[in-house]
Amino acid sequence: MKRLEVRVCVCTQCVMNGAMDIVEAVESLQKLKNQLRFNASVKVSANERICDKDADASVSPLVIVNGERLEGATCDQVMSRIISSVS
Amino acid sequence: MRGFYTPVTKIRRQIFKKVAELAYSGNYAHVDELPYEIIPGEVASYRESVFKERAIVAERIRLACGLNVRTAAEHAPISKDFDKAISTERVFETPLVNVIPFACNACPVTAYEVSNNCRGCLAHPCTSACPVKAISIVDGKSFIDKEKCVKCGRCAESCPYNAIVKYDRPCAAACGVGAIESDHLGRAMINYDKCVSCGQCLVSCPFSAIADKSQIMQLILGLKGETEVIAEIAPAFVGQFGPLATPGRVKGALLALGFSHVYEVAEGADDVSVSEAEEFVEKVPGELPFLATSCCPSWSVLAKSMLGEDLSKCVSMSLTPMVATARVIKKKHPNSRVCFIGPCASKKLEAFRRTVRSDVDYVITFEELMGIFAARGIDFSEDNDVPMEDATATGRGYAVSGGVAEAVVSCIQREHPGMQVPIDRAEGLANCKKLLTLAKAGKRNGYLIEGMACLGGCVGGAGTLQPIKKADASVRKFASEAKLQNALDREG
Repeated sequence: MKRLEVRVCVCTQCVMNGAMDIVEAVESLQKLKNQLRFNASVKVSANERICDKDADASVSPLVIVNGERLEGATCDQVMSRIISSVS
Repeated sequence: MRGFYTPVTKIRRQIFKKVAELAYSGNYAHVDELPYEIIPGEVASYRESVFKERAIVAERIRLACGLNVRTAAEHAPISKDFDKAISTERVFETPLVNVIPFACNACPVTAYEVSNNCRGCLAHPCTSACPVKAISIVDGKSFIDKEKCVKCGRCAESCPYNAIVKYDRPCAAACGVGAIESDHLGRAMINYDKCVSCGQCLVSCPFSAIADKSQIMQLILGLKGETEVIAEIAPAFVGQFGPLATPGRVKGALLALGFSHVYEVAEGADDVSVSEAEEFVEKVPGELPFLATSCCPSWSVLAKSMLGEDLSKCVSMSLTPMVATARVIKKKHPNSRVCFIGPCASKKLEAFRRTVRSDVDYVITFEELMGIFAARGIDFSEDNDVPMEDATATGRGYAVSGGVAEAVVSCIQREHPGMQVPIDRAEGLANCKKLLTLAKAGKRNGYLIEGMACLGGCVGGAGTLQPIKKADASVRKFASEAKLQNALDREG
């Protein structure tokens, strides 16, 4: 089984820009395991600031999927990134 | 639509942040540039024209500054008459919740429609189910005559293909009191005689056409001024600002913004529980047939109007936690201003009431506060953790559905062990209405009735940032960490 690590920045700016909704979306993938033929364990961590404090607001929300930085991430983008990196 | 971070959410929060930045900078001439910062470029993303998108954002900015909304006939630069917003006093006037007329998509009102799923089946039970002969088969498919249709929904229930769908305006569907009507162009219009300002329409409109007024601007100017401003934060705040924002760090962040003290509204809630418990024991069932809680202003306005003159006394006379806490603060700090920070729109209107005006100076929502934190770049860090340890478990539980009744019963049973208190409760205004109808008919006599206008209770309010379930769990966890169960434990 593949292992995947998703890190979501939860600084003030990122939370305002929907970071927690991305966490929710990633967790919701677990319920679609059958439909997606999804055989991986996804570890979501959302407990620290990752983005640079002086970074431009367009960076936020920042998500890192297996080391790959997604700036200005959206729920759909993160979900499809996870799915494509597993299959 | 709630529970998703959409472009509508994004625009709303960006506006809060931009207005906060404007207030801090003091460069008010810049206000006309804000729509260009929020909607950059030459190409429209959601509507037919980028000019219109900016015009709508401009009206939303005015509302966020506490100014009145303008129609397309009155549209002008935001800076026109902007001086009125530059004040440390309350500037907004009613109505609080506004439809921006030219942003409204004029969605058709409730109707049942036959979709492409219709197979024109032999059985066509839809025609048999219809009590008014509104359905016929035209060109091999089911057809609904809108003139005859009474919108009972029986056809939709009977269809084996789920081919008949109910179509609703999202604002009207979210409104539990039927206050959304139409203007002469078919656009949504709020009937303010019915509206109780719960704010659910404004978070349900997919076109971002409804907004409430805010005091972000005036609060920040107040924080910048000489007079001390004291924050009172509603119990629903736990977990709202993300995983880093523990209650103590939220308190630290508020102090960093310039509030001189931070109180938990749960403390006021503790006093309210005791007072409502006394009221219940004293008056029910003798003087009053039942007692309804009063802390949710949308619920209490609805209850008073539905119950009529005789029974409106059944809505508790106790102060709401917001006012009770504010009075304690003003007593200790007579020359201060008080800012209530909460999950909902209707508290803004409660603070507008003549009897409450001198107690509560500003009301802002969690979402608006998040915009201010973001504008100041304030993080929730461990170096800025100031523990909150004043309120009791039941006071903190006010934020979740059922929590108020539980707190009152906890106080009653402490004074009168073994006393049974029948409870009924409702969440969501439509359910509140049903409960009030039962109570009015005498079917809830002897009861303690709790009503909350939003599904889930305060954690489901229009000004919140987190999914209701998670927020509910965070509130309960924080409540369980309190040292005392209720305010009566304090004296003992």
